[in-house]
Amino acid sequence: MEAIRYRLARWMDNPLLRKELRQRMRSGRTVLALSLYLFIIGAVAFVFMYVNVQGQTLLLQPARTADLFTFLSYLQLAMISFVTPGIASGVISGERERQTLTVLLTTPLSPASIIFTKFVTSISFLLLLIVMTLPLYSIVFLFGGVVPSQVLAVFGLQIVTLGAIASVSIFWSTWLRRTGWSTVFSYATVAALFLGLAVAGYLFDNIANHSSDEAVWGLMSGICYSLNPIYMQASLEASLGFTSPVFHQSIVSSVFSVVQIHDLSSTASWQSFFYLYLGGSALLLVSCIWRLRPGTFAVLRKRLLRWLLR
Amino acid sequence: MITTENLCKRYGKTDAVRDLNLDVRAGTVFGFVGENGAGKTTTLSILATLMLPTSGRAFVGSAEVTTEPAAVRRMIGYMPDVFGVYDDLSVREYLAFYGTAYGVGAAQIEERTKELLNMVNLEDKADGYVNALSRGMQQRLGLARCLMHDPPVLILDEPASGLDPRSRIEMREIIKGLRQRDKTVLISSHILPELADMCDEIGIIKRGALVACASVEVVTARVNGHRQICVEVLAGGLAMADALARHPYVSEVLTCEETRVDLLFAGTERDQVELILDLTAAGYQVKTFREVGGSLEDLFLHLTSDAHAAEQSASALEGSAAGQMA
Repeated sequence: MEAIRYRLARWMDNPLLRKELRQRMRSGRTVLALSLYLFIIGAVAFVFMYVNVQGQTLLLQPARTADLFTFLSYLQLAMISFVTPGIASGVISGERERQTLTVLLTTPLSPASIIFTKFVTSISFLLLLIVMTLPLYSIVFLFGGVVPSQVLAVFGLQIVTLGAIASVSIFWSTWLRRTGWSTVFSYATVAALFLGLAVAGYLFDNIANHSSDEAVWGLMSGICYSLNPIYMQASLEASLGFTSPVFHQSIVSSVFSVVQIHDLSSTASWQSFFYLYLGGSALLLVSCIWRLRPGTFAVLRKRLLRWLLR
Repeated sequence: MITTENLCKRYGKTDAVRDLNLDVRAGTVFGFVGENGAGKTTTLSILATLMLPTSGRAFVGSAEVTTEPAAVRRMIGYMPDVFGVYDDLSVREYLAFYGTAYGVGAAQIEERTKELLNMVNLEDKADGYVNALSRGMQQRLGLARCLMHDPPVLILDEPASGLDPRSRIEMREIIKGLRQRDKTVLISSHILPELADMCDEIGIIKRGALVACASVEVVTARVNGHRQICVEVLAGGLAMADALARHPYVSEVLTCEETRVDLLFAGTERDQVELILDLTAAGYQVKTFREVGGSLEDLFLHLTSDAHAAEQSASALEGSAAGQMA
């Protein structure tokens, strides 16, 4: 335990982390963005409640607060998918364009610590946004229908998604020289994850209906849906008992029906989601470390060989 | 302090650096000269652990750059030819960031920031933002940044490039001041006369290969041994050319016209004064008597103009350097 605490303290003493957080958090734009986001989420929550209770808060039923929770959580997922690439897609290419990367690489900071710091600072702003909305979610607790563990489960899923999007964006930022291209590729990857997989799943479902290999196409469709954060969040909310679609919209109903048809709440679906998102993120970040200084692994290999021969 | 052994770097079919053998002694200021694309920046990048060589080895102190890059990084302060600064950081925070990155303690950072800002004449800008500084100030700050962890070796890639004359002189004076700090400095530049003023030794690189390497005295002596002089007279230039051709210190009359003679002079400055007096005494009405070129730049152009000539000059220079060292 003491060793972990020491390592954590040492890591927190990382000068790049302190510099990045200081630079990000002390600008006026950050305060403005935080305030604006809270205002929008607050306004949405207020309008949602007002429409449902017509000004009489006693009329608010637990089922309705579950709807509000579902709505807010999807709004937050949309925010994550839009804002994360914007923040993370320039972390390395921006350093390269500002011509500060060369100097940074000649300091004793390792490429791994640079990439990991960039990852943490990229997601820290979004994490702050998520944490800031917790008081708004407490409105949901006030009227019942949702318990804290359910909220935490949805937040957990969103944090994994956030980490994956940040990793993808940092990957493009490290491998492409220009921030412009990195941003385009990051958003394209997010679009492929959120929309592309949904379209592919829908396509495979339709093929399955007219094919003799229904099981195979159905399985492929299920994989596509199980890798899509929108459907996995729906599966989480469905498994928590939120079967009432928000505003009874047909598109939301279709998402929940896909969850039931393909049994996305199953362990297998969650395993494939977590394996891809966590494992994929780790692989992408490792490739970024290699790209940042190609000699890193050669040195590590030599050290390992020397250690083994000893 | 800095050594390379048959260092090579190849990009596809292009050899950026070919069998480069450098030996920069501790405490010296070594000037690395070459045309654009000659391989200077590639060599410095390899030494700064930013790039892996295709073959050969490079050492800073006793640490090899490919196998012990972390040790090399702690020993060097590297300033690239073009570098940016972070927005929203004050000069003090900028230096503190790099100091902390090298593991310098908080008390030492405070002390060194004060000392280095004083050295680079930026003490009044300590609380200003780095992106608000002029180019010259940013270059000086970059040099201060290199010194934050007090490294024994400094690798400076064209530190005066893009600076106005005043900033260039300021930068030159600061680099000259590094001698007192007992630093080994490897500096690349195109501005050869400035290098002669700052450096103890000079290496000339052409197409990735070192074509000449000697002390500044040896190089300067060689340049001075073959100074090109232009003599302009009101009349009688052709007759004067005959007389000059017989002069013991005139190695060659290059061109002669009625009013102008160009020659190669091998004597000292005192011999030069005597030649002027002799010409005047012989009745030639000397209008101007001036050196044409005759600088390190000429030697550089000469060495880098033709491969054969370069090799000859290199062997001659290396021979003189070896003789001087012996």
